[in-house]
Amino acid sequence: MAANFWTSTQRAHWQLTREKIADMRKGLDEEDTNKGLGLAFPLPEHKQLQLYFHHCLQRLARRLQLRQQPLATAETYLKRFYLKVSIRDTNPYLMLSTCVYLACKMEECPQHIRSVVNEARALFQEFIPQDIAKLAECEFHLISELNSYLIVHHPYRTLMEVQVPLKLSTDEIMAAWSFLNDSYITDLILLYPPHTIAFTAIFLAVFVRPAIHTQANLNASGSTALGMGTAAGAGGSIAQSSVGQNAAVSAASGINPQNHSSARLSQMSEWFAESGVEMEAIIECTQEMISLYDAWETWTDKVCRESVARLIRGRQLS
Amino acid sequence: MSATNSPPTSATLPNATAIRRTLPFGNGNGNNTPLSAMVAESGSDVKLPNDDSDASDNDDPDDLNTRTKKKYTKDRKLGEGAYAVVNLGHRRATATEPAVPVAIKKIKVNTEFRDGITMDAIREVKYLRELHHPNIIALLDVFSSKNQNLCLVLEFLDSDLEMIIRDTSQTLSMGDIKSWMLMSLRGLWWCHKSFVIHRDIKPNNLLLAANGVLKLADFGLARSFADPKRHMTHQVITRWYRPPELFYGAKFYSSSVDIFSLGLVFCELMLRVPFLAGNTDLHQLELICQWLGTPTEENWPGVTTLPGYHEASGTPVKERGTDFFMNTFLAAGESGVELLMKMLRLDPRKRCSAREALDSKWFSQEPYPTQPANLPKKGGGKGIEKVGSDLKRKAGELFNTPDERENPVITRKKKHSAVVAPVPEEIENAPNEEMGSSDDEEMEYTNDEETENEDNEEVEPKNVDKPQAGSKTNPPPPPTRNTREL
Repeated sequence: MAANFWTSTQRAHWQLTREKIADMRKGLDEEDTNKGLGLAFPLPEHKQLQLYFHHCLQRLARRLQLRQQPLATAETYLKRFYLKVSIRDTNPYLMLSTCVYLACKMEECPQHIRSVVNEARALFQEFIPQDIAKLAECEFHLISELNSYLIVHHPYRTLMEVQVPLKLSTDEIMAAWSFLNDSYITDLILLYPPHTIAFTAIFLAVFVRPAIHTQANLNASGSTALGMGTAAGAGGSIAQSSVGQNAAVSAASGINPQNHSSARLSQMSEWFAESGVEMEAIIECTQEMISLYDAWETWTDKVCRESVARLIRGRQLS
Repeated sequence: MSATNSPPTSATLPNATAIRRTLPFGNGNGNNTPLSAMVAESGSDVKLPNDDSDASDNDDPDDLNTRTKKKYTKDRKLGEGAYAVVNLGHRRATATEPAVPVAIKKIKVNTEFRDGITMDAIREVKYLRELHHPNIIALLDVFSSKNQNLCLVLEFLDSDLEMIIRDTSQTLSMGDIKSWMLMSLRGLWWCHKSFVIHRDIKPNNLLLAANGVLKLADFGLARSFADPKRHMTHQVITRWYRPPELFYGAKFYSSSVDIFSLGLVFCELMLRVPFLAGNTDLHQLELICQWLGTPTEENWPGVTTLPGYHEASGTPVKERGTDFFMNTFLAAGESGVELLMKMLRLDPRKRCSAREALDSKWFSQEPYPTQPANLPKKGGGKGIEKVGSDLKRKAGELFNTPDERENPVITRKKKHSAVVAPVPEEIENAPNEEMGSSDDEEMEYTNDEETENEDNEEVEPKNVDKPQAGSKTNPPPPPTRNTREL
């Protein structure tokens, strides 16, 4: 993290509203349709693609042994980029590799361009051009489209900061961390300040997850994006249980402890109530996360993979 | 004026009242330094990134880029370096605004290597996009040129502090020095407040605008504070301004490295030559030990555990006390010396923060800091070329050309400002003799660089005294400084 979020370019230029995002995407789609690309290269629904790109980024990051922070930055870059440029005008694989490459430089853990290209080729084969100059060129476009606003503030730091005052258990921190990782599939980072997202994750980890635990006897760590299959399964249950929780929160910003270890939960809800955290925003974030897990349940990468391949081949973008 | 002697110690200020209190460093209020007008004045001069271009994010990006590009024209080339070309240009006059000169730094992307944009350029863009302060160079715009180069439009600044220091025909008053220090510290305070370490503070990165305002530039080595337990490289900061912890290979350090560098700039402003100009890293460390004191477990707990620590040769010199600094930098006055000492502490944890430095009494005492507009200037054509060449230089390098490396432009003439003690010739030789005296120590020296030492053997006896003096309880009399010429 550098600089101050409140004076940051992220807040000034890259914190958007849902309407604005929808508008921007619609604009790009319409343009594609006008150019006849929309029909020629149908792409899966947006959420599906986001899941797919997230999955790809994650695999690439794992090959490069990146920390979570550069990965999160890369995901943010990709989201920002595709708000301004149509997916159909790009080679998504090359683009996401570029995001990873640039994010690494940005987060002070530079990777050699050659190793990024090699690892990306190992994953996406012929879709990544061997010539490193292509990626360098792409990096240049990326910076320009981002208006060279490159510093991204992430929610992870907030989570680390409040873990002590909130007395979060290791288990809860891990779970919240996983929720944060998953939040990068959604548009949350484009919509809300990082601390709001962090508190959403804590809220999910502390209030919602134990409910699932007891209900479905699911391992919470399954909801990390790492174990996708489990996550999809867990997703549904999160959706059901947290709807109930939501009602309680919105009612009083305090939660009926129900059958949980009540002292701690009531303490926590008191904290939430008194903290001045925007509960409205947290509820919206929670809903976003729920719909993510919903979509995840039916998601398969096959459709996305095929349509992206068709796009790249068809437009000879590789 | 004396009200600011109990500063809040934390760098980030807890609440609005505190922020109001810090405004003296931002725009003059409360702390009756006579500089209140200066920032406001410069503020109106600084053109922040143009909002009209940034706000219209949903425009067709191509158009946006073209529009940005069209705002500027290129006038002529100022210099070309390894990774950038610097052009003098100006922003076209509009209906409401007159033309403004700018420096356009074109980052070469399309070179034969084609392996992405260098970290220097990335860092520069990254931080300058976020940091806006009257004492930090403004990045006005970024656009891409047709053959895929990234162009940074920077505020045009026509000279730098190094030129002023080297121009021995100019006399620098203590008020002038105070003013530059004040502006540097304000810029640095803002960086540190934003969790950015500059890591290359030196006179030629402190640029001067035509109206006299000083601005930090060259963020090619800057980085944000690392997360706890994450390593940072110690290979930063130009050698002459590098603090001891980096020579010892510290992997965890903080904004205090900038403070040390700026402390040395402070010395240089008074001496008119670099205070500690080592030929090699090892030599530099020797100089630090000799002039500031030898780091030991007593004055710097934990120093021996640093990865690159090695025991200094010769008799350890006690960390210098007030007497030494008062003798050497008498002109700064008591409060100035106090500030300088706090900036040059060996133990980085004991150094003051930029914020604490700004609270120093020195700034609110007479002679008051000079108004920027009245500061000595070095304008004209040569200045422009010099800054052009500085801008394109790679971060962390001392010299612009191999030529300069051979013959560094350090003039050790006897022409000096009236205020400050000149550096006697011996300063050059002193460190070498010290090493000469501890001859059994094997030095990893590159011999080609110390040709001049041999001629000066005869001065040795004088310096041999020094370590002995250092072992007494009183701080040693400053070696060679008793020969003050005025």
